[in-house]
Amino acid sequence: MSRRTRAAAGLGVVAACAVAGLASWLLGGADGQAAPYRPVLPPPPKLALNVPAPRALAAGAPVAIWTSVLRPATARARPKRGARPVVRLSRRTPEGSANIVLVIGHAGDARGRVWVRARLPALPNGTTGWVPRSALGAYQTVRTRLIVNRDTLTATLLRDGRSVFRADVGVGQARWPTPRGHFYIRNRLTRYRSAAYGPLAFGTSARSEQLTDWPAGGFVGIHGTNQPGLLPGRVSHGCIRMRNRDILRLGRLMDVGTPVTIR
Amino acid sequence: MDFLLHDLDTDGALREAGENAGISRATFLGGTVAGAVAAFAIVPTAQAASSGDVAVLNFALVLEYLQSSFYTEAERSKALRGKAEDAAKRVGAVERAHVTAFKGLLGRKAVKRPAFNFRGTTEAQRSFLKTAVAFEDLAVAAYKGQAPRLRSKQVLAAAVSIHSVEARHAAWMRFLFGVQPAVNAFDEAASKAEIERVVGATHFVVARPRTTTSRRPRFTG
Repeated sequence: MSRRTRAAAGLGVVAACAVAGLASWLLGGADGQAAPYRPVLPPPPKLALNVPAPRALAAGAPVAIWTSVLRPATARARPKRGARPVVRLSRRTPEGSANIVLVIGHAGDARGRVWVRARLPALPNGTTGWVPRSALGAYQTVRTRLIVNRDTLTATLLRDGRSVFRADVGVGQARWPTPRGHFYIRNRLTRYRSAAYGPLAFGTSARSEQLTDWPAGGFVGIHGTNQPGLLPGRVSHGCIRMRNRDILRLGRLMDVGTPVTIR
Repeated sequence: MDFLLHDLDTDGALREAGENAGISRATFLGGTVAGAVAAFAIVPTAQAASSGDVAVLNFALVLEYLQSSFYTEAERSKALRGKAEDAAKRVGAVERAHVTAFKGLLGRKAVKRPAFNFRGTTEAQRSFLKTAVAFEDLAVAAYKGQAPRLRSKQVLAAAVSIHSVEARHAAWMRFLFGVQPAVNAFDEAASKAEIERVVGATHFVVARPRTTTSRRPRFTG
């Protein structure tokens, strides 16, 4: 018998003894003297919380994303430094609130910088441009969308695609028409003293294309009125007027950042 | 510990994002903005936390808010591709479930979701994966740090059940990013103060922009 064979045989004997010993210890010896090892452990405690299933994002639910301008920045025609400037963005609106833009796309440049394509509060209406991501703040989302119909003189608010609000409105007269297009709600004004604007006003990114020298740039607002008898109608300088009870109800349903479509 | 964001930020992408936003290197690495302080100040202090599990649960909830917001934003950005995109969807769905569970358990005592500015890390594949690794490692260390302080066995059981899921996420994101999923025989825990310092250094937690004013309107009328 070689050395290797003798070593293997020795190991086999040791292993057999070990297995026999372990079995005897776990199951109790044949003479009944060794106690079996059968630990009794309590079941695991119940969880303190209900465990829901993983929640996928709702497919098809329309969500709009907006963000604030953190530092003055130039929106450009393409996502690239040196591309044609479109408009200069400030941090504040004329009303002193944070200036916001609606996010409609993303891209990276050759140097790895992220650019955001945004709908902008600038003339001509409908202007979009690329803004460095680093100039913008936290992304916020809204699930609402406001549709203003200049033909039917109505405003309809959709939430998750379903109508949750509808009211008669006043829109611009023929010489100062309310601009058509895609816009968004920029800010919300309350507790000011002006009966003509009612108790609540929303600023939009839409601008009058006729009243360009209007104070603060001729932005179109959505607000109440002290002349409810004129509604619905083509009665304003471009703003969208509602009865005070309607604008207050809209104020409870619509957040800043909501996309606005004027047809 | 290898979960620290600025340790992980070896090529300076996160730091660059902060500097591009007008934040100095010193501020980025060491400072906190008022928004970050405000968001984490809603979590009771360490001393108060020792008196009840609610504080620990709210601390965990803030981290779950951070993670769920990160993955949700990444999914919505549609900037990710391939396995990273798939992982963002699956992990995001789980993190949202964690938020739902904690809010259900805490009820009216649940803290509100802070605002997060992820500074473009959700919109580029590599910076997304790097940040995801950091977040998952951070969550694992945070749960490990707080779990021994929980008094209720049921709450502890819940925390442990989430902790192991976060560890799976950490391994998954590490694999996708190309770093070792499991390096150590034992992982270190992190204190609440350490977690807050790391999260604060990212400047991801911010104040919400002020969009309401009481100035008189000057719209066209």
